[in-house]
Amino acid sequence: MITLEKISKIYPPNVQGLRDINLKIDHGEFVSIVGQSGAGKTTLAKLLIAEERPTRGRIDIGGWDITRIPGRDVPFLRRQIGVVFQDFKLLPKKTVYENVAFALEVASMSGRRIRDIVPQVLKIVGLEEKARRFPHQLSGGEQQRVVIARALVHRPKVLLADEPTGNLDTLNAREIIDLLLKINSFGTTIVLVTHNREVVNALRRRVITLDGGMVVSDQAEGKYLLPV
Amino acid sequence: MSFFINIWRIIVSAWKHFVRNLWLALSTVFVLVLAMLSVNVLLGVNVLLNRAAQELESKIDVSVYFLANTPPAVLEQAKFLMTSLSQVQSAELIMPDTVLENFKKQHAAEPEVLGSLAELGENPFGATMILKAKNTADYPFLLQALDNPQFNFAIESKNYDDHAETIKRVREISNSVQVFGLILISIFALFSILIVYNTVRVAIYTQREEIGIMRLVGASNSFVRMPFVLEGIFLALFAIVIAGGIVYSATVYLEPYLSTFLDGADPGLLTYFSANWPQLVGAECGVLAGLVALSSWAAVGKYLKK
Repeated sequence: MITLEKISKIYPPNVQGLRDINLKIDHGEFVSIVGQSGAGKTTLAKLLIAEERPTRGRIDIGGWDITRIPGRDVPFLRRQIGVVFQDFKLLPKKTVYENVAFALEVASMSGRRIRDIVPQVLKIVGLEEKARRFPHQLSGGEQQRVVIARALVHRPKVLLADEPTGNLDTLNAREIIDLLLKINSFGTTIVLVTHNREVVNALRRRVITLDGGMVVSDQAEGKYLLPV
Repeated sequence: MSFFINIWRIIVSAWKHFVRNLWLALSTVFVLVLAMLSVNVLLGVNVLLNRAAQELESKIDVSVYFLANTPPAVLEQAKFLMTSLSQVQSAELIMPDTVLENFKKQHAAEPEVLGSLAELGENPFGATMILKAKNTADYPFLLQALDNPQFNFAIESKNYDDHAETIKRVREISNSVQVFGLILISIFALFSILIVYNTVRVAIYTQREEIGIMRLVGASNSFVRMPFVLEGIFLALFAIVIAGGIVYSATVYLEPYLSTFLDGADPGLLTYFSANWPQLVGAECGVLAGLVALSSWAAVGKYLKK
């Protein structure tokens, strides 16, 4: 499903972001990528959505070599990988409904389909009652659920969540992880990038640990190994 | 079909963005209106100066004084010959009796002058012909034309020399007004272009994060760009409407005051704007909307590359 072959990323002048990463993530997996600040987690996440290009190596998602993807095809890739960010990245002047619908509008989906899909997805994340609100009228947890709803509208095969609980309290963080587990149970591959020890340990799923830009551990039912 | 869906969504998105960013939109419109006003005010000043030059030119004439007792046939022939020239706007012949009447009216309060006139016992004045040229440049030609042997023997004097310097100066002022007006309008237009470009850039800078988010959720470059470009065109149209309203109201209000500077003559501002508004609005609208659209296109592009 997702294959990384000998991926290295060097930032100018000579900062090693990632070095020689080899990974394979199967369809329907729930994988946590953990590590301390500067370990290379966010760099890896950016490479997976083609926000940055690797210096060396090849990334293949569903048979698509995204390291050679032309700029004009990047929007199509991003419609196929759902992305959840720590800082939400919602459009502040659009309502909850419009934020979610926007992800479908950019794909030229018909108005009728959008009116069908958006309420369904908002129901999955429990926000159908707050569709007309603007992001600043929601709590952090609710904003993150809007982001997840937006990521889900294309029914992506992969959902990449970069520190989705980073700005949330324990209760809201728990709700978001439960939501990700629910989405994973529908068959969507989840790649969770986090440094939240409690979350990782409670999941009991595959854990890939990064340190200094390298994979130092890859356990099928892993725990957060690094010191806090 | 999806093309039209996208066009419709871009229009709706641009309009919603305009309404929801009202303060940012209003501040941008404000700057655009100021830029448009500065160009239009200068345009108005140019019209006024030209009008003033025209008014001065209209006061210039050549008075031809004929000898007393010149036969009316000669006078009529002189008038006919001068009127037939294409450079002549008008030729007014004032007969000796009327000249005498005018003289008496002018000097009604001076009994010595009237007494001396009475002592003469006859009308000492000849006829006067007042010639106006279509252009001030034509006066030297008119003076040459007055040398016509069919009536030049009856001319006592001409007063062109009195006006020669005035005519020359008015012509210089008129030409300078045209040249400097164009230069000033060009400079103001250039300033306005720079102001508009920077205003649009600042407005889009405040929305750079939104542009990044749109890209992250899979929007193509044109889908991100077009609402901003269209919103810019909305702003330009609003600015044109507001600036047009201000220019019209100010013209209607100021024109009576301006006419006092022109000896009660029509300043011609309202006439100018009324006669030329389709071209003015079309040109200003085209330039401003085009400029704002191009600025938006370039400014958004900067954040699309990131």
